[in-house]
Amino acid sequence: MKKVTILLLFALFISACSDKLVRVMPYEKEYFAQDKMSLSPISERAEQEGHIFLIREASAGGESSFQGGCGCR
Amino acid sequence: MKKLLSIFLLSIALFAAPRVGDDAVKFELPDIYAQNKSLKSESLHGKVVLLNMWASWCSGCQEEMPLFVQLQSEFSRSEFEIVLANIDNEAKNGIDFLSKVDAKRSLKTLYDSQKSLPKAYQCPGMPSSFLINQNGKIVDVYIGSLDTDGISKLKQTIKKLLGK
Repeated sequence: MKKVTILLLFALFISACSDKLVRVMPYEKEYFAQDKMSLSPISERAEQEGHIFLIREASAGGESSFQGGCGCR
Repeated sequence: MKKLLSIFLLSIALFAAPRVGDDAVKFELPDIYAQNKSLKSESLHGKVVLLNMWASWCSGCQEEMPLFVQLQSEFSRSEFEIVLANIDNEAKNGIDFLSKVDAKRSLKTLYDSQKSLPKAYQCPGMPSSFLINQNGKIVDVYIGSLDTDGISKLKQTIKKLLGK
């Protein structure tokens, strides 16, 4: 019983940390903000392509310094 | 079992981001212009402080910076101080940007090369600002850039804290 409790608590603890481990935090996006990271050299198009990329990849916050979107706008 | 639970709760508390009402995170960071000089958070006690985490590559940070310069000019630095923590990979980028918007260096700017402050505050967005009262407690949190409306509301809160 004790082992199961420890395992459960450990799993809960690890899952709580996982978001921070896999996600690029907003303050770590200096390289993403560089022009060469843009999907297209045309800024208007890059914005649209970036939006589509976010929806398609269901990724969060990969293309800006703020959080990700749901693709609903 | 009780011990285990308390250790678990303690570990959760350790990972929790500081919120309104909590003590502000203590720090000691070098000045961006003179990196041999550093500023300790304790030296800010007794003042209302707006701690802002920013980077030159962040468009929102660029937009709100002139508003901060204006805001600081409206208060004496002995009672209210804007403290900027720059998190650029290279301090030069931050200094270059500041030379355009704050040539007189009216804003206290620190350089956080390790990004320790945004990590400690677990900032969910950039820029992030924290209003800290005279006792070192967090009064308000602003995620994202502040516009003119946001700055006027902030001004009211600062005046209230200063008893004006």
